[in-house]
Order: sequence, then structure tokens, then C-alpha cells
Amino acid sequence: MKAGRPAFDPVLLLAAPALAYMAVVFALPVLVLILRSFGTPTGPSITAYVSFLSDGFNWRVIGNTLRIAALTSLLCLALGYPTAVALARSKGAVQALLLVAIILPLSVGVIVKAFAWQIVLRRDGVVAAFMVMTGIWDQPQLLLFTESGLVIGAANVFLPFMILPIYSVLKLVDPNLQDAAATLGAPPLYRFFKLALPMAMPGIISGTAIVFSLAASMYVIPTLLIGDRFQTLATLTARAFLLMRNEQLGSTTATVLLVLAVSIVMLSSWAVKAKGDSR
Amino acid sequence: MSADALLLDVRGASKAFGSTTVLAGVDLGVHRGEFVSLLGPSGCGKTTLLRIVAGLLGADGGTVRLDGADITGVPTHKRGVGVVFQSYALFPHLSVADNVAFGLRAQRRPADGIKATVARFLDLVHLGALADRPVRGLSGGQQQRVAVARALAVAPKLLLLDEPFSALDRKLRETMQIDLRHILREVGITTVLVTHDQEEALVMSDRIAVMSKGAIEQLDTPEGIYTRPRTPFALGFVGHSIRIAGKAGQTTDGVLTVDTALGPLRAKGSYLPGSPVLLAVRPERVVVGAPPPDVPSNAVTAALTDIVFQGSKVHLHFAAADVTLLVETNRIPPGLSPGATASLSWGLADTMLFPGETA
Ligand SMILES: Nc1ncnc2c1ncn2[C@@H]1O[C@H](COP(=O)(O)OP(=O)(O)OP(=O)(O)O)[C@@H](O)[C@H]1O
Ligand SMILES: [Mg+2]
Repeated sequence: MKAGRPAFDPVLLLAAPALAYMAVVFALPVLVLILRSFGTPTGPSITAYVSFLSDGFNWRVIGNTLRIAALTSLLCLALGYPTAVALARSKGAVQALLLVAIILPLSVGVIVKAFAWQIVLRRDGVVAAFMVMTGIWDQPQLLLFTESGLVIGAANVFLPFMILPIYSVLKLVDPNLQDAAATLGAPPLYRFFKLALPMAMPGIISGTAIVFSLAASMYVIPTLLIGDRFQTLATLTARAFLLMRNEQLGSTTATVLLVLAVSIVMLSSWAVKAKGDSR
Repeated sequence: MSADALLLDVRGASKAFGSTTVLAGVDLGVHRGEFVSLLGPSGCGKTTLLRIVAGLLGADGGTVRLDGADITGVPTHKRGVGVVFQSYALFPHLSVADNVAFGLRAQRRPADGIKATVARFLDLVHLGALADRPVRGLSGGQQQRVAVARALAVAPKLLLLDEPFSALDRKLRETMQIDLRHILREVGITTVLVTHDQEEALVMSDRIAVMSKGAIEQLDTPEGIYTRPRTPFALGFVGHSIRIAGKAGQTTDGVLTVDTALGPLRAKGSYLPGSPVLLAVRPERVVVGAPPPDVPSNAVTAALTDIVFQGSKVHLHFAAADVTLLVETNRIPPGLSPGATASLSWGLADTMLFPGETA
């Protein structure tokens, strides 16, 4: 950045409606929620957090949340990155078809998908049959109501949010870069790690940030795929508000989730960028 | 190996995309240290041939030999063929110096050697002062020099340049052409340049390969191509020319008489009487006025339509019977103005003869 105060750019006013909208329907209520988590009949205090964090069960809930979000992001990245590369390299009708295939599932609601997954994740479902056929499993297992099943289902919903940001970055990259590296004597793996990956990194960061945040805060998917036995911060928040009518617990878990998700996303993208710059 | 051996020897390279044949069995031999240009119109297959030589594209048929070894199936990164791309293809996330160091690092050269090599090649292209700058903000000319330094730093056996000047404005292009020629001479690297700009090819090359529709029509020195074009295409693509179509008549003592719209003209050669032929002459070989009596010549009468002053030379446009005749002189002939009729003549030795198009 240049030194000195940049002059105000009137174009920024274009963001004003969205900012005002977000302030009213998002920032304000979230602020109220956060404040409520500190409220006690005797004035502001952090007792809610102290008691929340002193319960071992809640730590397991935090662990569940982060683990599921991380695994879902990883699965989406593993499936999404190659897809984004293929999408960026394809042309014309093939590309249009791929895009439709990626975006169309978004228009199918989660409830519909959940019933579809029940077919796939059953003991006699497609996934179990595949695992037995490839010899990874000795016998068919039930994937429904397991963490693996939850990750598979969540990744299915969030995959487009990984593919599209990576694709939008890759399509702007000069396709000659890989060729240029090859003519300089760089073998394929070197080209991947020193060129393809750094080029895709902005897309990978935003895709992962989106999927991680979505997966950390999802409520409907775990409710449908795994049920009450398995709690995350999001399902716990919902229980606190809807079932237990405990507003303070609800706002506490919601705030913990918010802080965790935001800080993990920001820290990891900062770490990746710092690593990129130190080369 | 003899000094005359071919460094690059392409034999019968062919390539089709779907049902369109882009290269139809191309042969190309380039000597060690030589600068050869592939000159041809857009879409004639120049880039395709270049990519095949670099291993970036698989040919359907033919072989590529480099320095005596068959490299037809060798992957690009093991070929030792450097390329400067039309878009320069600089790595946008790296600095100027890191771009130049990329290949050296990829080949795991010792670190202290890399630093010295990068500095040497940046100096060679006069970019030493910009070493730590990101490549994003560089001007077109600077980017091109980074691309050249980056390609040369890994010491390839052969350097390929794909229209490296097309992104530069005319003035800069001319200085960069001469600059680059000096740099490449200094390094002594064998180079193949792709261009559709005949002047660029004439200025830079030891030899020029004139390409048309996936085939090399002629591979010769710039002078050879200009004075002895082997095909009408080579004639038309390099330099200006006067072209007069006609029908072959009788051949006497190796001189053919051709019936043209401008009357009977003569050229050295022999064709079956009645077959269509094309006569041609370079504009600067034509003189305004009667031919000297002792030299066998052709002469026609034509009307002056236009005078175009071009600084060091003057273009006189004549017309006669639907044929345009361009004459190049170094000053405007006194007393000649548009509308006037004049006699034009040129030597028999300057008259080129090609097979004509069958109507
Ligand atoms: N990957 C491809 N798929 C289909 N056709 C192609 C492909 N690459 C090139 N072509 C076609 O092959 C022909 C030759 O292309 P090439 O790029 O070699 O031409 P060129 O001589 O370099 O032209 P220019 O001066 O415009 O760069 C063109 O008609 C082009 O459309
Ligand atoms: Mg080209």
C-alpha cells in the first residue's frame, strides 16, 4: 500500500445498501446476542463462559464441531481442486455442462438430499457396497448416524462453494505458465508445488474459509444425518434456544462458535499468505 | 561432430486437429549458432511447429532431433529447449530475479551459483536495477527482457521465440529487435523465431523459413528469399513485387516469351506453350525510361497514377491494362506527374518466372 490517506472513492458507495442491510439484519442482532451472553441478573459477567468451559462435555462438543468442519473442508478440497482445474481447462459445451453439474445440486434442498443420502449411506447402500468391493471393509457397515456419513453428506452440500472460488481464480491464470515452467526444466511435481498451487492459493483460501464456516455452523445436516447423540456448537445452540429455553447458554455457545470459526479462518489464511510471501 | 552438423533437425513433422491438417510433413534443419525465422501468415502452423519442437505438443508423425539425439518422445522439461512465449508467461507471484532463478532452482543448481547466474543474465538484458521488483508492474519491453533472461539462464541448447515483439509498439519493437539480436549473438545460442512480420525476419535472421498452410515453402537467407523466391507465395510474402500473369509462348535459347495483357514479355525459363505463368519483378529493379540498348530487357508503357513519398525512397504507382506496377526510386523523376504515360523497363535477369494459376 502507498503511504498517506487514500482519497475516498465514491464507488465505495455502491456497497452502502448491502452494508446497511447487513448492519440491520446481521451485525445488530449478533451484537445483541453476544451482549446477552455476558448478561446476568447482577450485571455483566463472564460466569456463563466459565461454567460452559468447565464442563468436559462442552469441550467434546467444540472438538466435534472443529473436527467435522475440518474433515468436511478437507474432503471438499480433495474433490474440489481437481474439479476446478478440469473446469478451468475445459472449453465450450463441456465447460457449460460441468458448471451446470456443479451448480444444479445447489437448487435441490437439503431435506431432499438427506433422503437421498439415506439410500446411499445405508448398510446395503452404494457406499458400503463400494467399500466392500474394493476390500477396504470386510463387511457392509452403516454409515448413517456416523461421523463419516455426516462428513460425506456435508461435503456433498458444500462442494460447489469450494470449486467455484478456485475455478474463478484458475480461469484468470495464463495457461502458458505451466508450459513455461516445463521449458525451464521444472519437473511436474515441482511445477505443481511451486506454480500451480501458489497460483490457486487465493481460491483455495476463500473456498476453504467458506466451507469451513458453513460446516462449523451447519444445523440441518447433522440433525438429519446423525441425530441427537452427536452434538456440535450449532446443534447445542439450537437445543439451548428451542428445547431448553436457556437464552444465555444459547448465546454463549453461539458466541464461542462465532469466535472460533472467524479466528480459525483468519489465522489459517494469514499463515498461508505469510508462508507464500517468505519465498 | 562436424561444425556444420544440424543442431535442430525436424523431419516430416505432421499434426492435425480433428480433420484440419495444420502441419503436413514439415522438414526444418537449423545449424549450430544459427538464427532462423519461421515466417508466415496467421494460422499457417508456426506456433504448432514451435510447440512440437519444445515438446509442448505431440506430433502425429515425424521426428525431432536435437544435437544429434532423437528427442521426439522426451518430455519438455528434459529437452533443454527454451521458449519465450508470445504472452511472456512470467510467473506473476514472483519477483524479476525469482522469475529468472525459477529454472535454476527447479533443476537444483547450487544456491550460490544461482545468485551469480541470475545477476549475470539480468545485467545482460539491462534489468539489474529491477531485480527485486514484482513482474506485475513492468512495461511490455521489460517483461520481454525478463522472459529472455529467464529462458537463457538455464543455458538451453536451443531458444524458441514465439512472436516476442508483437505486444510492443513499433518504435520499441525496432530497438528491441536489434538489442535482442546482440544479446543472442553474445550468448551464441541457436535460435528459432516465429513471426508474421517480414521486416522482423529480414532484420534478425541468418535464414528464413517461409511457411504457408502447414508447409515450409522455402528456407534460405533473407537475400536469397528476396532475390530468388521459389514460389509465388514467398515472392508475395517478402517484399513488394510487380506481378503480371500471362500464357507461355515459344522458348528460344532458354528464354521464354510470355503473352501478357501488356504485350509480349520475356523471362529465362521454359514452359509448355499455352500453360499459364506468372512474371514478377521487384519494384527497385524497374527504371522509368527506355531500357539500355545493350542489356536484354523487358519494357512496357504505363500511366502514372500516384506518387508516394516515403522519405529515403519514392513509390511510383503505375497502371496498365488492369495491372498495377509499383516502381521504387530514390527521387521523384523530374517532369513526371500523375496521369502521364511513361515507359518502364527492367532487365531480363531481374524477371522472375513462376507457374501460373490454372484458370
Ligand atoms: N489446440 C488446437 N485445437 C484446434 N485447432 C488448433 C489448435 N491449435 C491450433 N489450432 C489451429 O491450427 C492452425 C495453426 O495454428 P498455429 O497457432 O500454429 O498458427 P500460427 O501460424 O502460430 O498463427 P498466428 O500467427 O496467428 O499465431 C490454426 O488454424 C489454429 O486454429
Ligand atoms: Mg502463433
